Amino acid sequence: MKKLDEVLENKINGLYYNNRLILPFHVHFLKVIIENEIITDFSPSSKGIYIREETDFTDVYFLEYKHLKDVVSKYETIKMVVVEKEKNVFDFNNHIKLAVYLENKHVLRIEKTDEDILFIE
Amino acid sequence: MNKLKTIIPVLIFFAVLFSSYQNIFAHEIINKTVPDTLSVETTHAAIQHELPQAFMIVPFIILLLMIATGPLFYKHFWEHHYPKVSIVLGAVVVLYYIFYLNNYHSLTHTLAEYISFIALLSSLFVASGGILIRVDKKSTPFANVIFLLIGAVISNVIGTTGASMLLIRPFIKMNRDRLQPYHIIFFIFIVSNVGGALTPIGDPPLFLGFLSGVPFFWVIQNVWHIWVPAIILILAVFYLFDTLNKKDVDVVEYSGKIEFKGMKNLVYLLIIIAAVFVDPLVIPGVPSLAPLPFGIREIIMFAVVFISYKHADKEILKANEFDFEPIKEVAFLFVGIFATMVPALELIAHEANVLGDKLNQGVFYWATGTLSAVLDNTPTYMNFLSAAMGKYGLNVTIKQEVINFVRVDDIYLVAISVASVFFGAITYIGNGPNFMVKSISERAGIDMPPFFTYVIKYSLPILVPIYGIIWFIFFR
Repeated sequence: MKKLDEVLENKINGLYYNNRLILPFHVHFLKVIIENEIITDFSPSSKGIYIREETDFTDVYFLEYKHLKDVVSKYETIKMVVVEKEKNVFDFNNHIKLAVYLENKHVLRIEKTDEDILFIE
Repeated sequence: MNKLKTIIPVLIFFAVLFSSYQNIFAHEIINKTVPDTLSVETTHAAIQHELPQAFMIVPFIILLLMIATGPLFYKHFWEHHYPKVSIVLGAVVVLYYIFYLNNYHSLTHTLAEYISFIALLSSLFVASGGILIRVDKKSTPFANVIFLLIGAVISNVIGTTGASMLLIRPFIKMNRDRLQPYHIIFFIFIVSNVGGALTPIGDPPLFLGFLSGVPFFWVIQNVWHIWVPAIILILAVFYLFDTLNKKDVDVVEYSGKIEFKGMKNLVYLLIIIAAVFVDPLVIPGVPSLAPLPFGIREIIMFAVVFISYKHADKEILKANEFDFEPIKEVAFLFVGIFATMVPALELIAHEANVLGDKLNQGVFYWATGTLSAVLDNTPTYMNFLSAAMGKYGLNVTIKQEVINFVRVDDIYLVAISVASVFFGAITYIGNGPNFMVKSISERAGIDMPPFFTYVIKYSLPILVPIYGIIWFIFFR
């Protein structure tokens, strides 16, 4: 399984299909923002999101949406605050802010948010 | 496909409204009783028609309640269906006016106002979306006060919408390690509303007053002495809040730099500001496009939307996460608000005219303010201006009479101008930029208070006492 650092460093893309993101890493999720919805409930009973870890990737389903492409436009991102597995979740320095862009052909571009992207943890 | 489903009802809605436009002008050719410009035609024409029945304000109340409760109790239904709800409720009123009252004047006037409103908002939104201001300095309560004060002044130059769009991102960035919802709320209070009370460009009601005959500099000359204490009081409360905010994660390092990118969009902003004056009533010789429900001004503004988006720096759009959703939200909600509030405004105008002699400046202040908080402040301003002028037997549709009214007794106009701008901050729907700022903030991860919490926790305890002080000193 790839580490998040490795994914970011090597610019490895994920995938998306309809309301499903396929992320090529395993992490702890702290916060996800899609449109103006702020999701912090990642429990199995969450109505907004369902996360499932497979051996080599992580599935993220946005349950309130049918097609992410309908709601996330060209310059928009889905934003996430995550912590690499095995790192201390209580240390803010380990909190990584990600922006994922929906590209053509189901390609999901994953980047650390640059300083311009507004993202308040 | 989904977008088509959304767009088709809108097109039908506007087709019905526009067909009413054609009817009104066919009617005018026969009777020759209606002024040949619609931009200052007020509800006088409508009042000559039969008044709507009181129950026709129900669609408006339903829409307001749904705007207030939707994001709170049925968020996902609301997010997916608010355009349909807004259009259906608006269509109920439109059809009632067309087929039951046979009153096209009110609808066409509202349509023209809506197009002007959305042209200004969308052009400022898109043009300012192509500007990136990087303020990489650590915020302090004092720095925030200065920032908001500058925002208040700028809102008089590029409008509350332009200033809000331009400054909300740097304000959030400045405060990113200690940001709380109150930061955004005070930004809405000051930059998106109260700040813009000094010039006709600041806020749409003052702009309509200017088109009707209120001299351009009358506003600043007669309102500054109220604007200054209001801004000072709101900033003082903000300073108190901000001083007590001890949240400071302090994981952010600041370079101390301030950068500005997207200079060409400043030119677009200047074009929009200049376009504000491109009106047959302001510059003689500017052609009127009647019977079309828009003029050269709106064409220029929509052209700016197209050109500034097409030629925008993609890196800036990416950095601003530019998206049309906030303006789409305002456009859809306000199409319903504009349509459904027609009966409410006509009934208010009627009552104001009936009670004219008994109304003093204090009543004008509170009535204009209260209604501006939940209705659009532009028609509210015009209706109360009409009622105030009615006390002197003057007609708001005649420019010279507006000028005379301003010379004779301007305390009513001061009260109406101040209240229509100031009270727009009371709710998220009181002024166009409020919703946009809320939407941008939520996309940045800020958990903004819902409609009622905003009112109960912030605007009622903070703004209403300040507005009460303003009333006590200036309008009692």
